[in-house]
Amino acid sequence: MAASGFEGFEKRLELHFYSDDNDPTVTMGLRLIDFDSLKKVLRVVQCAVVSAVGNHFFDAYVLSESSLFVYPTKIIIKTCGTTQLLKSIRPLIHLANELGLTLCGCRYTRGNFIFPKSQPFPHVNFRQEVVYIEENLPEALCFRKASVMPSKNPSNSWHVFCAGDGDHLSAENTFTVEVCMTELDRVMARKFFKTSHDSSVSKHMTELAGIDNINPRALICDFEFDPCGYSMNGVDGDRYSTIHVTPEDGFSYASFECVGSVYDDQDDIVDTLKKAVQVFKPATVSISTTSLHRREVWTRVSRAMEPFGLKCRSFAMDEFPATGTVVFQTFTSPCRK
Amino acid sequence: MAEEGQVIACHTVESWEQQLASANTSQKLVVVDFTASWCGPCRFIAPVLTDLAKKLPQVLFLKVDVDELKSVAQDWAIECMPTFIFLKEGRIIDKVVGARKDELQCKIENHLAPVQNA
Repeated sequence: MAASGFEGFEKRLELHFYSDDNDPTVTMGLRLIDFDSLKKVLRVVQCAVVSAVGNHFFDAYVLSESSLFVYPTKIIIKTCGTTQLLKSIRPLIHLANELGLTLCGCRYTRGNFIFPKSQPFPHVNFRQEVVYIEENLPEALCFRKASVMPSKNPSNSWHVFCAGDGDHLSAENTFTVEVCMTELDRVMARKFFKTSHDSSVSKHMTELAGIDNINPRALICDFEFDPCGYSMNGVDGDRYSTIHVTPEDGFSYASFECVGSVYDDQDDIVDTLKKAVQVFKPATVSISTTSLHRREVWTRVSRAMEPFGLKCRSFAMDEFPATGTVVFQTFTSPCRK
Repeated sequence: MAEEGQVIACHTVESWEQQLASANTSQKLVVVDFTASWCGPCRFIAPVLTDLAKKLPQVLFLKVDVDELKSVAQDWAIECMPTFIFLKEGRIIDKVVGARKDELQCKIENHLAPVQNA
């Protein structure tokens, strides 16, 4: 393990809003936040937009440190490195309020930092993060819970903070899967080192690594970093997927996140996860599934890891306000514990 | 032309068809930006497009708002935004989907590069 290096593990923030006049069909909502205001928020977090695309349902931004998704009533920001993600809460609530939208749910999740001592305020530790979030949430979000979901390895746990107003529960029948992979196969990781300077480097990486095959229907907005590193957002109807890669040996890391629906074919998520893990062939995988309505999604997640010889080493399940059930599982190859 | 070096917005189907027709006869490379006033990703890349238009007056840059010109957006099957369509002599020769600065720039340069005939 390197003494220091780029922190691949992301901090993830999801904010849900409702319309003041209780219009269930808010058409544009948060997508009307003007771009300059979004840029200012990102500057506070210490990142910037490098690529973007929008469709009928949402806007997807690739950032210098991960991704931002803006739906009419939901914002998801995922940032890595030493970004101060939580500083975006207050300005985003303010910008939403100006559009007649009120915060009704907040979810913050992350794994363990590889280099925790490099993290700035308010991310020095989870306690500091929770205190900071609570100070910036409106009182209406009075149902709150913070938990560190463990695994057998103390330096591999899943931190969750959720808050809700006890009302305005999301009607979505979706579940989110957040996959964190470390100790990537070296040969696979090399594909994410920049080898030329023409404009289609990121597209080549996407195709070479087989990322375009994970969901062939998705439009992929990819970006390569100098001298190495890769990010992509996938856009398929109202669903996003996102991949971020830190390929350097010693602290290699890749994340994959996607959304599924309870109406999907049961095997869809299994196939998707298999293809995603196949790209990186990691030695360690941790997967968090979050769902409001379908708790057994995690069983399919386990099945997806079997072909890679990745054994489930730990399992933790908990309930959170405004969010539902979060399951955290870790997998490693047999030769490692 | 007073509008050279600028991105020309087409607000009606007539002006859109007029611009295309004149571009066909002049054999100019045309880059069409399918955009929307509310589209964040479109606003991200807008300064890049304005800059390119200034630097490359030999290219015709057109802007089509998908809400203003719904029929045109539908005819051209625009699903994601921004979508940049490259035209020459009335034919689609290339496309960039998404606010991808480097790809847009490179493709314009490639299509402008003179074809060397022995």
